[in-house]
Amino acid sequence: MPEDRGDHACCDRCAGAAAAARIARRRLLKAAVFRPADTRAAADTRAAAHAVAARHADLGAAAGPRDAAVQHAVLAAAAALPPDRARARFATSGELPRAVTGEIIDVSPHFLVLSHGAGQERFALTPDARAWRGGPLEPAALRPGDQVVVRLHRTARGVADRIWANIGRVTGTIVERTRDGLLVDEGSTRKRQFVIIPPRASGRIQVRFPSLEPGYLIDVIGLRRGGALEGLVPATSQPAYRVDQMPAPALVSGHVPNAISGSATWHEPADDPPGVLGVAYPALDPEVGCAEGAGPPIPGNVRMPYLSIGSVLLVRNDCTGSSCLLPVTGCAAVGRLFNDRCVTCGTSPRSRVADLTQASFVALGGELELGCFNATITIGG
Amino acid sequence: MLLSVVVREVQVPLLASLLLGGSAAKLVQVLRVRSIDAALGPTALFPVYLRRTVAMVMCGCEFALGVGLILTAGTIGRGAPTNAVRLGTALLFLVATCALIELRGSRPDVGCGCFGDFSTAPVSGRALARSALLAVAALSTVGLAPLQPPHRGVAAILPLGIFAVELALVAALSPEIGEGLVRLGYAEPCELRIVPAERTLAALHRSSHWRRHASLITAAEPVDVWRELCWRYVVYPGELHGRPVELVFAVFLRQHRPAVQAALVDAVTGNVLPWPQGSVRPASEADRVGRLVRAPAPVFSAPTDPGIGIPAVPGMRSARFGDLPFSRDL
Repeated sequence: MPEDRGDHACCDRCAGAAAAARIARRRLLKAAVFRPADTRAAADTRAAAHAVAARHADLGAAAGPRDAAVQHAVLAAAAALPPDRARARFATSGELPRAVTGEIIDVSPHFLVLSHGAGQERFALTPDARAWRGGPLEPAALRPGDQVVVRLHRTARGVADRIWANIGRVTGTIVERTRDGLLVDEGSTRKRQFVIIPPRASGRIQVRFPSLEPGYLIDVIGLRRGGALEGLVPATSQPAYRVDQMPAPALVSGHVPNAISGSATWHEPADDPPGVLGVAYPALDPEVGCAEGAGPPIPGNVRMPYLSIGSVLLVRNDCTGSSCLLPVTGCAAVGRLFNDRCVTCGTSPRSRVADLTQASFVALGGELELGCFNATITIGG
Repeated sequence: MLLSVVVREVQVPLLASLLLGGSAAKLVQVLRVRSIDAALGPTALFPVYLRRTVAMVMCGCEFALGVGLILTAGTIGRGAPTNAVRLGTALLFLVATCALIELRGSRPDVGCGCFGDFSTAPVSGRALARSALLAVAALSTVGLAPLQPPHRGVAAILPLGIFAVELALVAALSPEIGEGLVRLGYAEPCELRIVPAERTLAALHRSSHWRRHASLITAAEPVDVWRELCWRYVVYPGELHGRPVELVFAVFLRQHRPAVQAALVDAVTGNVLPWPQGSVRPASEADRVGRLVRAPAPVFSAPTDPGIGIPAVPGMRSARFGDLPFSRDL
């Protein structure tokens, strides 16, 4: 098995401890510069107002009274926001079905006991509870030692609703194909991954990923076995192009709309803790080196404005209607290489607009084994 | 000349131009991507090993029928060959209509691929209607007498008008038109503009905000720089009456005379402070250099994140992940 590359870089691009502090600090400092009236609604919509303020300034607002232009934009943004936006705020455990990550200590037809960083936790299993470990199975069939992600029942916090065991995902560019499997580059912010495709899943994966050769993209979901992923389910269809032959971007004009629809995917925790609610954004400021490969950022069909770690997005699951504000905690440059759609409920516009942490994806009602949900993100929340 | 005959005659050049345009667009896409696999569309309905062949056959058929329609428009191949080409065209559009219906059901995320990468939008009712309309148009040309040379003067108005109306109808049914219009007008909005941080800093250093407040700054380099939409934020450490402060500048991302906003923040509490009145004057270069030499790095009295040198602020539940939303209390 080829060795993993150990030279992945993080700096400003990973959701680590430093990034968490930086996110908080940036929000505070940004609010200090553009301080709107101290009303709750205005505070919630502060970030959204920046975009409007920028547009006012870009359209040639008077050079002198910039403050007035910004203030006007803040008020305009606050007034223009729909009520659900005005109410939106950061996700809390009380509002969203909670995602719990841990290792199974004990399981029975009625109870599940997990161990995680904060100790042990016991959850009730109802007849409606479903589990996944490479395929659907009864929760009682899970084994002690399995690493699981549990979505708790919306109304009862002690009840497990969905359980995913040993689930993993590899998204990136195939860099090497060996007799044992595939070595996949997930981008400069993450370590390389090794994917083993068992014969029983080979046909299913090759229907959607016909070119399992270096230079082509792959996105598979499967079971974690040691340091490798046993790929079982294709998460999307393979783009026909090689990574070094990306299609030209669409030439478009005008400002980027505040709300952008597309596909929201998930990623495994790397440097960030498993429970963090956040989103890896595909178009971080080019200055932080988020774009994969050399040269300018890789363009997708959907135009995505440049943001940074700490920016806030309102992410909405168009399939369930759930939404919450999430901070940008990382870079999802590989997501821009896929110019695909999500068909979980209807057909989403082309492009991946958010790469959610596992906890965010589950909390927003996503099914991990499906790989994506149709989503709409609103910049600035 | 009967109106119906004129209408039927107009279909031949219209169909030929659409067929040749479609095959050319596919060819351009294939040449640009350097892979025939890129021309997806209805080929997605076929097994993987057949897709390349199907794509080549489709493109070849379109080109051959387009050329055939032009060649047989006059007296060449009069009779059976002409009708064969026109029937073939009708058959192509009929099959395409059925394929698009199937594609819409089985692969709703795939575009029709009719005009290469202009046709990336999922198959809609408009695309189906267009394909069916063209099939009917092709059928109407079967049995038509050879076309006459182009009319001149007033007589040309009728066929040209019919051609224009039908072209407008086809355009209205074509999602590719929207894509084409979008590609024509390109202007980079500020949220997509790539502006190097060095340029932002240079613009900031030329601004009046900088001249007014530079004397408070105690470090040569900013401690944090980030961008959000059309603004880039620059944070410098500073000192005011012996208290550590941070100067936050927001610089609009524009090439010339960008707007600048500034705020003074208490580095310990995070509170916004009023700018000192009268006591702040532009510092001389020598004074600033002297300050930087004496205090090369800011000193904070508050707990400081060792990784980034940013002081923690009261209100943060912890110095590390306290302000991030968690799905559980780790």
